Amino acid sequence: MKSKEVKPNTEASGEAPPFLKTWNNVYALVIISLVASIVLFYAFTLYFA
Amino acid sequence: MTNLDWTLLTFTLLFIIVYGVYKNHKDKNIDGYLLGNQSLPWYHVGLSVMATQASAITFLSTTGQGFDDGMRFVQFYFGLPLAMIVLCVTFIPIFHRLKVYTAYEYLEKRFDGKVRVFTAFLFLIQRGLSTGISIYAPSIILSTIFGWDIFWTNILMGGMVLTYTVVGGTKAISYTHLQQMIVITVAMVLAGVIVVMMLPENIGLVKALKIAGKANHTNVVSFDFNPKDRYNLWSGLIGGFFLQLSYFGTDQSQVGRYLTGESITQSRLGLVMNGLLKIPMQFLILLVGVLVFVFYQYNASPVFFNKVETDKLRTSQYAPEFAAIEKQYNEVSEKRKQLLISSDNLDNQQLEVYKSSLHASDSVAKSLKGQVVNLIKKNNPSASTNDRDFVFLRFVLDHLPHGLIGLLIAVIFAASMGSIASAYNSLAATSVVDVYRKFSKNTPSEKAELNASKVSTIIWGLFCIFVAQYANQLGNMIEVVNVLGSLFYGIILGVFLVAFYFKNIGGTATFWAAVISQAIILGIGIPQVILKKEWIAYLWFNPIGCFLVIGIAWAWQKKIGIRA
Repeated sequence: MKSKEVKPNTEASGEAPPFLKTWNNVYALVIISLVASIVLFYAFTLYFA
Repeated sequence: MTNLDWTLLTFTLLFIIVYGVYKNHKDKNIDGYLLGNQSLPWYHVGLSVMATQASAITFLSTTGQGFDDGMRFVQFYFGLPLAMIVLCVTFIPIFHRLKVYTAYEYLEKRFDGKVRVFTAFLFLIQRGLSTGISIYAPSIILSTIFGWDIFWTNILMGGMVLTYTVVGGTKAISYTHLQQMIVITVAMVLAGVIVVMMLPENIGLVKALKIAGKANHTNVVSFDFNPKDRYNLWSGLIGGFFLQLSYFGTDQSQVGRYLTGESITQSRLGLVMNGLLKIPMQFLILLVGVLVFVFYQYNASPVFFNKVETDKLRTSQYAPEFAAIEKQYNEVSEKRKQLLISSDNLDNQQLEVYKSSLHASDSVAKSLKGQVVNLIKKNNPSASTNDRDFVFLRFVLDHLPHGLIGLLIAVIFAASMGSIASAYNSLAATSVVDVYRKFSKNTPSEKAELNASKVSTIIWGLFCIFVAQYANQLGNMIEVVNVLGSLFYGIILGVFLVAFYFKNIGGTATFWAAVISQAIILGIGIPQVILKKEWIAYLWFNPIGCFLVIGIAWAWQKKIGIRA
């Protein structure tokens, strides 16, 4: 195999995010933002239809 | 364009190029050229990821989509935030831990060389073709501004970005993405505000959107499930999720962006930023397109938005016929405008009459436009008959104040340069790391690999310019790029998901599953593209392709793999 030798990253992948304490909280924020967008867009559709 | 526009255009572009090259001038190794030495903070990663996806196509074609088809295209992006979460949890830690240059390197570590090369090959075909279309987009601008033939503007644009990429490399691209995204956001917001200000006095944003609503242009979300319907909540959430997961997880043009993050955390935050901002950004761009639609309800609109082609008609033997059609079209537009002005305070019965009158005038306008398209085809058989991608550019050049024209053109150029440069870079990275390095008899030196990267960038650049010469035959750019991606992305994603989650499935089963699935998807997709009929909306190709790979690989492993 000629690909570059694997150099394991020394950083722990479980490092906490700089805000919201855990990654699960960050992902929850992303999902809440998606749901909020869909609800707002649906309201937009109904209002201007 | 006035001197002010030219000054702003030149200054903005020069700043972006010089700054990018300056920030990157010390990178003399392949790590720096391809991965930016993995040193970028999260906001650079996030902006870089967003800017890579935001090409000139985004501004020209998405606004054209809003103008023509309304806001429903935004549903295409509903699966993106969910895809970002999966990438953060699964893909980023693996790619970072293995310190790979390309996503396909991982496949050799997990399976074998043939799976890696086949997947890289699918990526190279897909990305090479898509980048050709991306070059065509800014070429349209040059062609429209100068009246030059699109053949030469394709060469000029593709060549300019090629030089920039070979000199600068990934870090230059990433650093200038920050500036590009700032200018893009400011310019698009300004464009939206100015369109509203240019509407008649009694029409503000809300009323403008109500007018757009009467023409079904404000239908953002549709809950109806219909596999033939391109954009609804379900195709966006499910099909879009698989498309975005594959695009961001396995397309080297994006993997290469977030691998430039200095740590797993920085890369993850960059993708989270994309997950939070992408949908509002696309909504804003489509909204500008819808507002341009409303603007043209009150102002004379060209019968065909591609000025280069209509100018050719004016000097051809078809000039009298064209003039007659144009006159009729202007009369229909005026009638439409009067209808619109008289549409205030209608009761339900009057509203129905209004809608049917509007529908009738739309049909006449459409028929007249069809006649112009026929004339254009007669005059120049190789001419593009799709003018949707020219709507926003024509609006900018004809109606926006000087200064802003130069800034907007600069923004669109900058976005193109960023996304095309990223694509060139990813094509080079995959060619060198997954092909050149793999098939070299001896392990190449760092210098040889860096040189090979630059040569490969040039070869791919030339290929993309060649493809750009045929892009005008394919239709609306943003849809063509996504249709093209959907033909390949599901398969590539399926291979990666087998690699991550099905540890008992080996390389041979996965390889043949990918080959068979790709043949099936192309067997369904290519006739749809050629015949221009859709039995299955293109977004569904992504989950179908992905599950085909997983299912066939699983069955192959179970029935044949064990005996082997």
